[in-house]
Amino acid sequence: MNGANNVNSINMLAQQQQLQSRVKIGVRNWQNATVQDLMNFLSRTTRISVVDAVVEGPLVVGYVASRADAESLLKWNGIRFAGNNLKFEILSGTGNDAPGTNSTITLLKNFLYKRYNAQTKMLDLGNLHADPDLVQKGLFSSMSTQSKMFPALMKLTSKEPQLVVESVNLSDNNLKDISGITTLAQTFPHLKNLCLANNQISRFRTIEVWKNKFKELRELLMVNNPITSDKLYRSEMMRLFPKLVILDNVMVRDEQKLTSIYSIPMKIQPFFFENNEIGPSSTDFVTNFLNFWDTDRMQLLGLYTPQSQFSISVDSSIPPSSVAESDQNPSFGYYLPYSRNISKVSSEKSIEQRLSLGPEAMSNLFGSIPKTKHHLQDMPDEYSMQTVTYPQINGFVVTLHGFYEEVGKPDADANNKTSAGRSRRFNHGHNSTNNRLFKKSFDRTWVIVPAGGGVVIASEMLTVRPFAANAWVQQSPAIQKVLEPQPQPQPPLAPQIDPMNPSFNASPPPQPQMGVGGLPVSMGVSPQQQPPMPPVSTPVPLAPTLQLPLEVQARLNPIQLELLNKLHLETKLNAEYTFILAEQSGWNYEVATKGFQNSVNNIPREAFIP
Amino acid sequence: MNRFGVRTGNYNSGVGSSGNVSGSSRSQVAELFVKKILAHLDDTDPSKLNEFLSIFNPNGCKVVINATPFAQPTSFLEQWETGVTQTQHALTAVDYHVIPGSNTVVFNVNCKVRFDEGGRDRVGQDASIQQDPQQPRNALNRTRPLWGSYFGVSLQVITEERVLNNDSNGVILTLNYNMVYKPDDSLMNI
Repeated sequence: MNGANNVNSINMLAQQQQLQSRVKIGVRNWQNATVQDLMNFLSRTTRISVVDAVVEGPLVVGYVASRADAESLLKWNGIRFAGNNLKFEILSGTGNDAPGTNSTITLLKNFLYKRYNAQTKMLDLGNLHADPDLVQKGLFSSMSTQSKMFPALMKLTSKEPQLVVESVNLSDNNLKDISGITTLAQTFPHLKNLCLANNQISRFRTIEVWKNKFKELRELLMVNNPITSDKLYRSEMMRLFPKLVILDNVMVRDEQKLTSIYSIPMKIQPFFFENNEIGPSSTDFVTNFLNFWDTDRMQLLGLYTPQSQFSISVDSSIPPSSVAESDQNPSFGYYLPYSRNISKVSSEKSIEQRLSLGPEAMSNLFGSIPKTKHHLQDMPDEYSMQTVTYPQINGFVVTLHGFYEEVGKPDADANNKTSAGRSRRFNHGHNSTNNRLFKKSFDRTWVIVPAGGGVVIASEMLTVRPFAANAWVQQSPAIQKVLEPQPQPQPPLAPQIDPMNPSFNASPPPQPQMGVGGLPVSMGVSPQQQPPMPPVSTPVPLAPTLQLPLEVQARLNPIQLELLNKLHLETKLNAEYTFILAEQSGWNYEVATKGFQNSVNNIPREAFIP
Repeated sequence: MNRFGVRTGNYNSGVGSSGNVSGSSRSQVAELFVKKILAHLDDTDPSKLNEFLSIFNPNGCKVVINATPFAQPTSFLEQWETGVTQTQHALTAVDYHVIPGSNTVVFNVNCKVRFDEGGRDRVGQDASIQQDPQQPRNALNRTRPLWGSYFGVSLQVITEERVLNNDSNGVILTLNYNMVYKPDDSLMNI
């Protein structure tokens, strides 16, 4: 590194570092496809990229970026590709313990941690050329090197999730504009405080790229920059940063007023029950109802009287693309023939016809819309519910918001049945891509009347709409903690006890429990209050021979762990192969055992517990 | 309005057939009523508040907004007027059932809503601290709303059945308003 103080040397070092740490791997049983197909499949499925792949005898040999990548590739052993089970092996690899790996990346990483203060959540990138480490390595002696340094630092920072940064200091860096540090907005979109003091920033235009970026920026310090003497300085900064409160140590906005303008007083919460009695009974009702809706809808018909009403309404409006996970190309082909959305359906006749009255009409409708799977029990956070009493009928109204998966075509497909009979309108431009099965979000409202130890559904309305991430899950863990009744710190994907169903015990998908008359047993609105079980996440006890890596275990929910345990004990497969078996079977016990029995003779010896 | 001519009596659902309005035009009345509620929510004119209040039932009415309950419609309206910036609702779906024997109607509504994210409250005040009255006026002082991205809303309303005879005086018994999706690029915290 002697004096080659330019950006190329950094890039070169980075490349060297990459080459040094990469690991040679081999893939067996790939023969039924081209190497390119294999590479595409691997990067798509495993998210691990294999480079410089060549065929060597029965193997495809290539390189992955690191030892860690190679190890995680091994976990995919047995994955199906082109009719065969792939087998991965590590052929050679330096690992990260080779001498002289004190490369630029490591250097920068260490530097980042040195400059980060976890207490204040501050990343201090001020006065970088005075940093003895960087100077010694010659990384900060020229302007061009410096301008490339920031993006590199930012990229590294974004790969270090433990760096929680609320404040960044970039003072004393001889910045003439922000072109070198624009990526700051991608790395820290929620930055609260930014210091750019003692630089040479002189024009608004350069800062314009940060418009609509730092939406949470509260304080900005730009003293000793030429720009601050501009007449429009203050108003421009306020325009660019809508939530800016303090500019150069001066209050520019009334924070209280600002907070009230950008928030609504009714903070969103997932659940509301008008009183304590209807909470448990309505969650019981909804849980049981949806179990039957997913498994055998016709069993539900006993809950409706000849006067009960059911209708579906399609809300086909597409959510903005800035809504997380929103389906921008939804298909409602199966529902539209039944949609009673009176703001869209102009035919009065249709509006009349699309109201199902009584069990017979409902059974037709039930059979005409896709088969579904709701995730009330395994993904309780995805659902929100309100229940209020309805004194006029001595009952209550339950509204559930959430999502379901479409898992199968309807038994009776109106599109096929009627299109021949209908003239012109449906005869052109109709194709089955309108009937793609996907996830849907929904809002469903039941009007329920307790009757004779059970319940009767007087009215039920279902809105089907494009899938979108819900509004009630709070992203910030701090808020989450306040909302949780028992503030038990939980890892993000750790096992959770279902608040929708307090008596839920981690068991495989519940079998519908049938009463004598074909009616769900636990449908009755039981007046006795079940004391909710304390939401303690008890770890599923695993067999001592089932040794899962901790990070794998942390990703699994109790149902999955129990399934693994069960499979492991029955098949005597080792942890790795049990996991592969479970994953390939879609975490379905039946499929897994069947798959195991079918292929037991082809499974290698090392797959079993020694 | 009624393209099918007289269809009265065809709506043979056995549900409260009071009034002489045909089933078909009842659905138009229903949709208009829902639009009226949304228009009231969007109204920034404080003098229209009493008009809004008059469609809530005076003898007990439940209001739930984002799973937050309000004992009185007045307290909800006060909070909405003082605590929420200007809104714009757009109706996307309406369905309703008349519940037999109860003289009530249940509405299931979906709409989307966007907020004025220009930094001003409903009466046009922003949060900036005037430092120098001679400061040149600029774009910050506009009064036109700066609409953000749409939020999704699911709304359930229970009313008395006479609402379908175009009588909206004191009809709302329950109003359940919940946001179901939110855009990441909004400045609003919900």
